[in-house]
Amino acid sequence: MKKLLVLLVVLSSTLALFAQAAYNPEWLIADVEGGQRGGTLYLGTTAGPKTLNTYWAQETSSSVIINQGDVSLLSSDFYGQPTQPGLAKEWGVEATEDGGTLYWFVMREGVRWSDGHPLTVEDVIFTWEKIIVPDLTADGNDVYMDAEDNLPELTVEGNKIMFKYPTRFRFGFETVGGFAIMPKHVLEDKVTDAETFQSTWTVEQVDQLVVAGPFKVTEYTEGVRVVLERNPYYFEKSKDGVQLPYLDKIVFEIVSDSNVERLRFEAGEIDMMGVQAKDFPSLRAQADQKGWNVIIGPATAGSNFVAFNFNTADPVKREWFRNDNFRKAIAYAFDKQTIIDTLYNGLGEPTYGPRTSSSAFYNPEIETLGYRYSLVTAQRLLREAGFTWNDKGQLVDWYGNVVEFELNTNGENVMRNEISIILVDALGKLGIKVNYRPVQFNALVQRMYSENWDAIIIGLVGGDDPGWGTNVWLLDGGLHFWNWSPEVMDWVDPDEYWVHPAEKRIDEIMRIQRSILDQDELQKLWDEWQMLVAENQILVYTISQNYLNMHKNTLHLYPVEKYGTINPYGYSYSPGLWKIEYAWKE
Amino acid sequence: MLKYIIRRIILAIPVLLGVSVISFFVMQLAPGDFLDTYRINPNISREKIQELETLYGLDKDPVTQYFLWLGNVLKGNWGYSFVYKIDVWQVMLRRLEATLLLGVTTFIFTWGIGIPLGITAALHQYKFTDQTLSTIGLIGISIPNFFFALLWLMFAANTGIFPIGGMLSREFANMPWYAQIGDFFWHVAGPVITLGTASLAGTMRIMRGQMLDEMNQDYAEFARAKGMPSDVVIYKHTLRNAINPVITSLGFSLSAILGGALITEYVFSWPGLGTLMRDAIFQQDIYLVMANLLLQGILLIIGNLLADIMLAASDPRVRLRMSA
Repeated sequence: MKKLLVLLVVLSSTLALFAQAAYNPEWLIADVEGGQRGGTLYLGTTAGPKTLNTYWAQETSSSVIINQGDVSLLSSDFYGQPTQPGLAKEWGVEATEDGGTLYWFVMREGVRWSDGHPLTVEDVIFTWEKIIVPDLTADGNDVYMDAEDNLPELTVEGNKIMFKYPTRFRFGFETVGGFAIMPKHVLEDKVTDAETFQSTWTVEQVDQLVVAGPFKVTEYTEGVRVVLERNPYYFEKSKDGVQLPYLDKIVFEIVSDSNVERLRFEAGEIDMMGVQAKDFPSLRAQADQKGWNVIIGPATAGSNFVAFNFNTADPVKREWFRNDNFRKAIAYAFDKQTIIDTLYNGLGEPTYGPRTSSSAFYNPEIETLGYRYSLVTAQRLLREAGFTWNDKGQLVDWYGNVVEFELNTNGENVMRNEISIILVDALGKLGIKVNYRPVQFNALVQRMYSENWDAIIIGLVGGDDPGWGTNVWLLDGGLHFWNWSPEVMDWVDPDEYWVHPAEKRIDEIMRIQRSILDQDELQKLWDEWQMLVAENQILVYTISQNYLNMHKNTLHLYPVEKYGTINPYGYSYSPGLWKIEYAWKE
Repeated sequence: MLKYIIRRIILAIPVLLGVSVISFFVMQLAPGDFLDTYRINPNISREKIQELETLYGLDKDPVTQYFLWLGNVLKGNWGYSFVYKIDVWQVMLRRLEATLLLGVTTFIFTWGIGIPLGITAALHQYKFTDQTLSTIGLIGISIPNFFFALLWLMFAANTGIFPIGGMLSREFANMPWYAQIGDFFWHVAGPVITLGTASLAGTMRIMRGQMLDEMNQDYAEFARAKGMPSDVVIYKHTLRNAINPVITSLGFSLSAILGGALITEYVFSWPGLGTLMRDAIFQQDIYLVMANLLLQGILLIIGNLLADIMLAASDPRVRLRMSA
């Protein structure tokens, strides 16, 4: 009996070895070496996933988990740009003679899904033709369209996939190179319509998941934890020949309160944590003793700004908000450095325009515009614009109206709340009365869509490439909320509608950028765009906190050793998770 | 008795309808809808949002939406969660177990300790025991749950005696069944003591007051005068009379089990319905909120009914009224 058992064990392990050896795709060789295989990474998250279907995930709580299993033709580099190989081993773009753009990708051969089924060109075609083209996704397929709303035409020659746009279109690597590829053999009968597809791979269907990325969700205990296990068929290897990912498992422990996450990190139950600036000094003090690595990364991408409603219901206020000097005065009166020093323990940077210094497209020239805290400059600007002060010290406009307006933000966002309170105080010094009313998120969004607001503090997220923000910056964009076009919102009176000259130029830039393939030419446009926004303070940008990360020093994160910092863009939600397949534990 | 129960159930229908109408329209009064997060996503176009409004039925007016919902409920379909894209019952079932486990354990804790302590306090009125118990009870009732929970977690983190929140250990799945039970009690201790101390004092005070009232009644005095042993007077006669109001409050406890522990659940990362509902309300996941409110309504009705039946079992006067 015992012999039989031994034989069985030997047989099954050789079989397993054989099965592994038999898997030999055209490996993607990663720029890492020396890591050790095995181990479990414990992370905290404040909410569990709501869906496991990447095309319907709208919350970071879902996408941060699902993305570990996603794979596309290209992957992102340190700046979030699609320049790295993924499923495609070679790729390129050609401007065709008929004025079109051809994006081509040569797929790796021999790759398999996590269930062992081969991953082929068929799966790419399936995802494109059955999910993206018929628009079964929550985001819609607008991002894949060129300036004339054309989707590219897909053709295949053996292992070469070609997407051809009829016009010049520069986003191909992000869009057609960046969509998550779904398994045809599993989802073939789920793509009949949007309703069916969105109910596919819900949290109830963990066991049906098939992925091609490094980690696959294998277990979800509602509200308790999510377990991801390594995909044995992941197609990436280290330079010294170890199949990635190094880690066997990632466990997301769900802790609803960030204080509790901190306690658990301190107790050693969680390996890595994004730190809030207010907690930073006290945690750092323990770092040496507890054996933590402390990382102060670059500024976060999403920055909060103050928007003034150019179409607010009150015509008097409208005139103030449309006045350049008024907005500039507010920028001068807002002491960004003090906020950073007091509220963020110095761990942040002032932002003057729509990109932070960590962006691949940042234009440092905007720093020379000189928007440093100065009440004197603010007062001078207001005086130049025709404002005066009455004997009570209140700011009065050219018709004698006392300047007073309402400021809203979603109060549950702590950072926005704090910024608002400081802004109210700062503007008080200029004699401006600001009535701060924090509201709930939904109420804020409803206001943005109406004429019933004066000023709002909010931040918008999106890709690093400014081209992804066209919906925000185009004059008739669906999110050009501080100055809705009458074509978009019927309550805007066309006779009262007014467009800032800078906004007109930005609109132009946003329209032409889509078809510019030359990087230098493109950067010139982005430089101009940032200058236009900053110079005129179309939106008054505030501050941006640094990415702060602490992790056990037994955990090795690839970019830390390579760059001495954590990439903020490659994984905009949770920077430490960028290229998590390279992370290993001692 | 059976007739009484049937009558009560029939009477519950208009109550539930009322609950559903009010909650549905209150939800509608709140600004915005589920798609607001989509609306400020720069990548989603306006056309797509209109398409999604149609998909989720949000483009119809509230009255139509209500009757569509009601019609579906009567057919047994309670609608589906916008966020989770699955049936609301499936979403709630994923959480119900944790909530019930916590609720029932807390209930046993408060009642199992509160009633005997209340009796003890009454029997030793104004003596050292009584005063100590009252003081402890008052301390429990006056520390806010949120603060108590955080203190508990700090204590747990610093000593390692208790877990820092959560419901299951990492090794839970590989444990033998007895260790699993142990693991549960190890995790539930914090939330139960947090919730329990708050209501323990209340139960204790009611029980003590009632006992004292009954013990000073003429019938108790008469029984003692007649030579009945003190224990029999207390446990057979006064206790049975004194416990009635406590039983009545049981009716409310049953529905409170589902909704009363939001803050404690949140701090302890307890995966119950409370935190689920908080998120659902913020995300305007209306059908999920509706299902939860109706479930609470149903439980309140069942709880009251159970309380009345128990009352009938303990008090013959009530029994007489019911059969009439």
